[in-house]
Amino acid sequence: MKETLKNSVLPLSSISKQTLIILVIAESAIALLAWHLTGNGLIPSPLRVLDAIIKLVTEASFYDEFFKSIGLSFKGMGISLVVAVLVSYLSLIPIFNPIAKFVIKCRYLTLTGLIFLFTLLTQDGSQLRISLLLFGIVPFFVTSLMSIIDTINVQEYELCKTLRMNNWQTLWEVVIVGRLDQVIEVMRQNFAISWMMITMVEGYSMSEGGLGTMLIKSNKYLDLSTVFAILVIIFLIGILFDYVLGQLRFWLFPYTKLQLRK
Amino acid sequence: MAQHVYTKDALLLKADNICLKYGDKQILSDVNFEIHNIQRPNMSQGQVVSLIGRSGVGKTQLFKILAGLIKPTSGTVTIDEDQHVVRPGEVGIIPQNYILFNHRTIYQNLKIGLDFSGQKVSDEQEKSIIEDYASKFGLSEHLKKYPMQLSGGQRQRVSIIQQVLTGNKFILLDEPFSGLDILMVDKVIDLLIQVSTINEFNTLIIVSHDIENALALSDTAYILANKEGVAGATVTETIDLIQLGFAWDRDIRQSAHFQELVAQIKFKI
Repeated sequence: MKETLKNSVLPLSSISKQTLIILVIAESAIALLAWHLTGNGLIPSPLRVLDAIIKLVTEASFYDEFFKSIGLSFKGMGISLVVAVLVSYLSLIPIFNPIAKFVIKCRYLTLTGLIFLFTLLTQDGSQLRISLLLFGIVPFFVTSLMSIIDTINVQEYELCKTLRMNNWQTLWEVVIVGRLDQVIEVMRQNFAISWMMITMVEGYSMSEGGLGTMLIKSNKYLDLSTVFAILVIIFLIGILFDYVLGQLRFWLFPYTKLQLRK
Repeated sequence: MAQHVYTKDALLLKADNICLKYGDKQILSDVNFEIHNIQRPNMSQGQVVSLIGRSGVGKTQLFKILAGLIKPTSGTVTIDEDQHVVRPGEVGIIPQNYILFNHRTIYQNLKIGLDFSGQKVSDEQEKSIIEDYASKFGLSEHLKKYPMQLSGGQRQRVSIIQQVLTGNKFILLDEPFSGLDILMVDKVIDLLIQVSTINEFNTLIIVSHDIENALALSDTAYILANKEGVAGATVTETIDLIQLGFAWDRDIRQSAHFQELVAQIKFKI
């Protein structure tokens, strides 16, 4: 017990899975207690938020909004991933490299400044949302993917050359197949950004509904319990998605487990 | 010191006035050496050549030039009977950190070597060749594992077999004894002797700062060092270990004469 406590505060020490679970539960309980004690003013208490969650999930209209956001999320993530992967892989062909570099720099462009342009360019609210979402997510995806490609050890390319692979075979073996597991990791890490974007773009086109629209409406009427309830639901979806993608990565690419610090 | 019957005939590899310069810094200067085919009666005797030099002298750069991975500032490396300029893929390399494809199992890593060898073999033949090599080199039980599950010595063996399976006659090894304990060094020496005698034309080029082990394994050694007044490293001495009676002797490291030679070379690099 003493040893476990000591290890819990020692940098780079290993703890058992059971100890980790205990730590997570204990720290969550402390956080909830602190929230409960400091809440009930401007910030609603955990019990009020729980009530709001129960109320939300028992309303049929909530599921319409919920699945609209989930649908938009999957559609946006899926298309963004395909575009980002293509841009990143093509960046290794010199003629396409400046395009990839430009896409990365698009991280600094704010969506708010481009909404009018996108409204003119798209035909309806749904298209507007997807376009804004792609414009928001793709630069972050490409940045992460390019940093993976940039850190590939040059000796891997040299190995391919000595094995008589041509440049296309090397690209396939080292960059595409060899880093496929990391594409899932990029997706997992950037899922949070995509959710942030989804609630934002839903706010830009409120007639289409979704959790983002619900958030803006609830904020407008100072219904903070509902705002927190929606945030908790989004948070839980994020945790679930994180877990599912993490497991999917281990299942599809078992060797990735070997690289983890025990 | 046993004297062996042998002949040296065809020129297999020639490094001709290799110079390498990065900006103003001269790394290599007029590096010249040749490797000839050694023939011994009733056996397939490959060639084992060492390039010995201290750390930072430019060995790894020369290693990459010999493999055709980087172009020298001037000079050429030519190989085979027709003495054509070396192209990437004609010389296998075993880097110091034994790079393998971490996303593939050991079996798949070896299969890649065979797939790019240019030989047309059926899946069954491929399986049998890989299993045969794995058994010879003590890797049978590791074929389903990933590279990260193997020790350094095991990864080194996989790297070597991978290159042998591509059909490369020339294999360059960068510091093959680095970080290995004394028992492992003996095993690596046995393994390299085994590889060098698989085929008459197999030629191992060992780039190392480990004088004793490199010499114990080689038939010829070239000392790569800086000459006074010359910028960049060059070959300062050629040691014909066959003529000295030190080649092809498994226990040569126990010989006092051999140890004298090792001590002399220490002062020359």
